[in-house]
Amino acid sequence: MISVIKEIYSRRSLLAELIIKDLKVRYSIPALGFFWAFLSPFLMAGVFYIVFIQILKVQIEEAPFFLYLMSAVFPWSFFQNSIMGSVTSLVDNRNIVREANFPHYLIPVSVVLANAVIFLPSLLILIIISACVLKGLPFIFLFFPLIFILHLVITAGLAVLFSVLYVRWRDLKYLLEVILILLLYLTPAFYSLSLIKASFSPALFNVYIYNPFVGILNLYRIALLKGFYAQLPDYATSVVLLFQPLIFAVIILIISTVVYLRAKNKINDYLAY
Amino acid sequence: MKGVGKKYPRVKNTNGAFNDFWPLEGIFLSVKKGEIIGIIGRNGAGKTTLLNIIAGVVAPTKGEICINGRIKGLFNLGAGFQDELSGRENIFLNGAILGETKEELKDKLAAIIEFSELGEFIDMPLGTYSQGMRLRLGFSIVANLNFDILVIDEILAVGDILFQNKCFEKITDFKRQGKTLIITNQSAELVARLCDKAVLLDHGKLLFAGDVKEAVEKYRALLNKEQFFVGPAKASAALVEDTKKWADDRPNWGKILGTKEVVLEKVSFLGRYGRHSSAVKSGKRLRINVHFKARNNLKEPHFGVAIFRNDGVYCYGPNTAFDGYKMSRIQPGSGQFSLEYDKILLAPGGYRVSVAIWDKGETLPFIHHYAYYNLTVAGYKNINNELINIPFRFRPRHNFFGFSFFGKKFIPDLSVLSDKWGKKIEGINLIIGSFRIANLQNEEKQVFMTGSAVKFTAGLNKLPTGRKSYYCWLGIYRADGILCQGFSGAFCHKDKTIDFIFPRLGLLPGGYKVSVCVWNSKKELLAAHHGVYSFKTVFNKNDHGTVFLEHKWGLNGYE
Repeated sequence: MISVIKEIYSRRSLLAELIIKDLKVRYSIPALGFFWAFLSPFLMAGVFYIVFIQILKVQIEEAPFFLYLMSAVFPWSFFQNSIMGSVTSLVDNRNIVREANFPHYLIPVSVVLANAVIFLPSLLILIIISACVLKGLPFIFLFFPLIFILHLVITAGLAVLFSVLYVRWRDLKYLLEVILILLLYLTPAFYSLSLIKASFSPALFNVYIYNPFVGILNLYRIALLKGFYAQLPDYATSVVLLFQPLIFAVIILIISTVVYLRAKNKINDYLAY
Repeated sequence: MKGVGKKYPRVKNTNGAFNDFWPLEGIFLSVKKGEIIGIIGRNGAGKTTLLNIIAGVVAPTKGEICINGRIKGLFNLGAGFQDELSGRENIFLNGAILGETKEELKDKLAAIIEFSELGEFIDMPLGTYSQGMRLRLGFSIVANLNFDILVIDEILAVGDILFQNKCFEKITDFKRQGKTLIITNQSAELVARLCDKAVLLDHGKLLFAGDVKEAVEKYRALLNKEQFFVGPAKASAALVEDTKKWADDRPNWGKILGTKEVVLEKVSFLGRYGRHSSAVKSGKRLRINVHFKARNNLKEPHFGVAIFRNDGVYCYGPNTAFDGYKMSRIQPGSGQFSLEYDKILLAPGGYRVSVAIWDKGETLPFIHHYAYYNLTVAGYKNINNELINIPFRFRPRHNFFGFSFFGKKFIPDLSVLSDKWGKKIEGINLIIGSFRIANLQNEEKQVFMTGSAVKFTAGLNKLPTGRKSYYCWLGIYRADGILCQGFSGAFCHKDKTIDFIFPRLGLLPGGYKVSVCVWNSKKELLAAHHGVYSFKTVFNKNDHGTVFLEHKWGLNGYE
């Protein structure tokens, strides 16, 4: 693990170049360029506001529903874009992979990091709106960077794992599309936890709450929405919400490292076609 | 860095899960530091796979590779390049992939861009680049980075001759710096020229490793066996007809080509009195002295000096190999050679001189100063842009003394002939009745040996009487229409036959056309047979150019 971190550090200029490449390829040609990273979350927030607040008039106890929704949708779309972008990244960048001998996992990691860079503006918008509407930020906001890094590590770990597997099993991409949609509905993004508690049996609910993304999204909310923590029901303690993702991150990192090391020498053989 | 890069690989590569395919099997190979290794073999022999494995891009299924030092590879053209990014951004991306830090790349950026000669295109998106430009960029990046071992796949073929030359120059530089190179190329000659050792692969098996010559011979044998015929090295035939090729090459004049394993330190021209001068008199002595300094050991070199007319017509290019000298090697250090023409039989005008030291097969010169030096030939006014100035005797039959009465050289205006090529125009009271090309024994012939004596005889009919003088003009053209020389003399009405006698017609092998025209003293054209007659020349040795000039090499101290 430490050697991997060392390796990433020693090839940091390559990682930087790959991220820059990703962003440049994405934003150098549109007329508005990187401004889209600010514009599209704004537009998305506008659409959600009109649909859920003005038309459907949905309300929940924990927080204003609009903020509740946004604080889940933005991190989720970062997660989804990263995974879907990185799963094909080794194959898409096969001409780079076949050019030289370098740590190949840097490519999916760079896709995740590039998506993180794009995610930052929407996060900023979210923080500002939340601070304005709820008149301030919670105390836990100070730990927000740690939460963000945790999310990043899980995403990067999954990205490396999936991208390596995809080189061998190209069905993975289609499978993932379905799984990600399912996972989104298994996470309290559009509904509150109490709703689930009410409709699921206790056993089923325990299974449900062990989904690490329940924890991740709620950690985002705890850190961003003032007063959200107090509203949390006692069956969803912060301990459960925090340790669930933490353990998951460690497991994912170990699995992806093992899979990568085993597949490393074969990646190039399968990339030929 | 370290001494020896060694590999003892035994290599397998699975391709697909269902059928195991072994592009390479059981290869054992060791490479020493500072060697250039050429890998040859047919398409699909496993060359690229081997290079990939050596560079660490592909892992061997079986066996292992031991490498001391940093290794860099240059494989598929434009691989690792992003079409959306500009050339400059690609330098950073590609360099980072090859393991360089941004700071190092910033230092080398100027050198890379300069070497690639891409100029302002460096800031254009790579998608707009041609294959050749991609190659330039790719090679420039790799060549300017730090490495101990460089692996280059068969891609240099895309570059133009000049860039290839630059690459080969760089490659020999690397060798001098003690770096190890492993290259593949389809051209066996090139491999033989550049490499210290060659490896012949076929169907994934190592057939031969070792001496380059032997490997190339085995490769040729292999190709011939499989019913692909690879002919012998192209003979230097039909140069006379290749005017366009040489003329089209003029933009490259003045360039210094080759691997530059030897430097020409001084090239000087000496005129008839032994004075240094870049202007010599037509028909007089010319001596060319060349001082050089060899940086490497040159295997089987030969010297060449070529003269071009300013418009690209190849006049004469003798070399020591054609003239039968054999040199086994030149040791590093200073040396010199000279070439002396007793009579420089070129028509007055501007010329350019190439000086080269070639390798055995003339695949890639050690040094080639291509049409680098200016040479002016002075003499009479060369109005009709003639190429050569061969001595001849003009002999109207009537004239007992065998030379012209009117010593003045008659130079007709040839523009009136411009639309009459291949036509016979007869005058009202003058007809060119007959024309013979014969040797001095008066035997009519079509083919002459270069340098043999030739007599052209024109028979005139219906010549008007009266005390008037006429001029007969004989033009010898190359088959492609380049005027070699016009020969003229005056005669009077009593002369019914006129001879032009060339004691030594030193025209190099090729087809030639002859025009014969008669003019009066007011320079009006009376009759013309323009480009109607033809003859050929053959020669018992190889030589380049149009005209054979007697010459002597000064090669003191070479075996």
